[in-house]
Amino acid sequence: MVLQALEREGVELIFGYPGGANLPIYQRLPNHPKLKHILVRHEQGAAHMADGYARACGKPGVVFATSGPGALNLVTGLCTAYMDSVPMIAITGQVNSTQVGRDAFQESDVIGATSSVTKHSYLVTKIDQLPRVIHEAFHIATTGRPGPVLIDICKDVQQAEAESVPHERLEIPGYKLNGHVDLDRAKEAAIALATAERPVVLAGHGVLLSHAEEALRELAERAAVPVGTTLLGIGAFPVNHPLSLHMTGFMGTGWNLKAVQNADVLMMVGMRVDDRVTAKLADFAPQVRTFIHIDIDGSEMGKNVRPQIELVADAKQAINAILPHLPEPEKGRGTWLAQIDAWREEHPLRYTHSNGHLQPQDVLIDMYKRCRNEAIVVADVGQNQIWAALWWNYDRPGLFLNSGGSGTMGFALPAAIGAKFARPELPVWCVAGEGGFVMTAQELSVAVEHQLDVKIVLLNNFSLGMVRQFQDDFYGGVRSQVDLTHMPDFVKLAEAYGLPARRVEKFSEIAPAMDAAERIKGPFLIDFRIDPEANVYPIVPLGKSLNDFWEAPESNA
Amino acid sequence: MPDRIRVLSVLVEDGPNTLSKVSGVIRRRGFHVRSISVGPSQEPGRSRLTLQVDHGHAEADQVRKQLERLVEVVEVEDLTGHEVHSRELVVAKVSASEVPSLVERGARVLDSGPSGTTVEFAGEGKDVGDFVDELLRHGIVDVARSGPVVMRRTA
Repeated sequence: MVLQALEREGVELIFGYPGGANLPIYQRLPNHPKLKHILVRHEQGAAHMADGYARACGKPGVVFATSGPGALNLVTGLCTAYMDSVPMIAITGQVNSTQVGRDAFQESDVIGATSSVTKHSYLVTKIDQLPRVIHEAFHIATTGRPGPVLIDICKDVQQAEAESVPHERLEIPGYKLNGHVDLDRAKEAAIALATAERPVVLAGHGVLLSHAEEALRELAERAAVPVGTTLLGIGAFPVNHPLSLHMTGFMGTGWNLKAVQNADVLMMVGMRVDDRVTAKLADFAPQVRTFIHIDIDGSEMGKNVRPQIELVADAKQAINAILPHLPEPEKGRGTWLAQIDAWREEHPLRYTHSNGHLQPQDVLIDMYKRCRNEAIVVADVGQNQIWAALWWNYDRPGLFLNSGGSGTMGFALPAAIGAKFARPELPVWCVAGEGGFVMTAQELSVAVEHQLDVKIVLLNNFSLGMVRQFQDDFYGGVRSQVDLTHMPDFVKLAEAYGLPARRVEKFSEIAPAMDAAERIKGPFLIDFRIDPEANVYPIVPLGKSLNDFWEAPESNA
Repeated sequence: MPDRIRVLSVLVEDGPNTLSKVSGVIRRRGFHVRSISVGPSQEPGRSRLTLQVDHGHAEADQVRKQLERLVEVVEVEDLTGHEVHSRELVVAKVSASEVPSLVERGARVLDSGPSGTTVEFAGEGKDVGDFVDELLRHGIVDVARSGPVVMRRTA
């Protein structure tokens, strides 16, 4: 009955792992050839695969896990999806309904453990609840601000025989979608933007989720407003556009941070305005007289920054409501845009490349030359993530996937596998540090089993690079527990899993290794042994304002 | 009442998870429950919660907004600062067998005998507090207090 309901919801792919409490579902799975099931090697891998799948194609990712440890292994993956508003359905087996609460074998309070990392959750104890619950779960996961929904199904319910009746009615009184745009507010926003002297727009993940990129571009060009993106908003505005401010936040570009800190009107679209965007909140965008905040989730209004103009709505609808009211800017924007260009000249992205070590940026630049905007890059968390964000000029949405809000190490490999299942026609590159990579490296077996064309770019600096950088710069230079000298030989590890691999230690070896990665079908791993001292710049020291960003040492530019 | 306290009337779907979801959100967002009372509403399948919540370091309107995000929550009314009727109930056992001064204050005697008297009293939070102080003079044995239930005034 579960599987029939999933078919009705249009599910084609499930990432999962069987166990005692979901065996009835797995018993019936072979009778449903339309549902392709990917056997993962750890449930966390399943959750990240479903997440990567959903991010890459927009459809909800579906995960199966058994009760107790199986379900609890999903928690990190659910949190990752929840923080980044990714639609996902997790179906977990629970012990028999009569055993719930008796500490049965592999029983755990999965609803309790996951409530704070799911958009909603259900415990199903009776078969007649199931069609309604599954239909509601997909609706809730995919509408409004998307997110993961967990359905915990007791084993006796899975076993029960009942006619599967489609449930089409949706009656969820407590679930309200913000449908309409307040047109008065939209007009106010248009006037504020048009009359601003130094306007800036920041675009977050919500722009991508609502497919508002075109509308945003039209708004930017009509009003001559520069646009930056958050880490998760990358792709919402072309980096190569003359009005682009690239990435904002505490590891954003210098010209972006200068623009934000000097703006008089700041429009924030589809974003949470979290601490990684604002740095020191009290000093965030201090010259702004009108904050405009557009978000589909009303609780984001004033959570961190109190806007003067609130638009609780879908980003695309809100921007489309602003557009008709947008007169030509009353004052010439020439001075402001010229100022931003000057900052772009003054604070370029730069990196050290004269110390004899292999630099991560060189690796990424070579990758970008090959892929341009025809590949999906899935980054892990840490320095590799920020390098991959800054050193590619993403022009289109959906090309850069990463765990932004939760910052989950180990995300990249399984998410890249999920993305490849979602978009088999696109090359998929996984960029990870060696620290995060080994956290979920067991999923290499999945890539090999399905001969997925996923290219793994390991930026191996023999340490937890981002933590090491923080310790060097902000924690008195005490390097504590960041040394990762003792790691597997990644080439041999890859071979043990059954995929070809190479090691690269010199600049001149980058291109041949990349050639091989592109030439060979199926998964491929390159262990790039990079400069162990390479740092992420710009960076705002912890607790400081965006004004105080540090740049890469100029002498090395 | 300190400024950080929000008074909310919350209509929720009855369900095994509802109370833990509500309290979970309150804890996770750094709020703190000062009082809670729950009872059936006039609509079948729904309950009415009256909450007094300290919003802590969060913005005051976050309490309502975060509760509204829960699928189990049908409606939230933030009654803070509004003209309301706020009533609390106290049931108390005292060792005295005669309690004329309590009755004079509006207490109702539920039972009495040689071993003592059980009384109930309802009123605004402050009046209930004063009543409990008065009980001390009668050899208080046990007290049970409800949280307030609150409703907006008709006019």
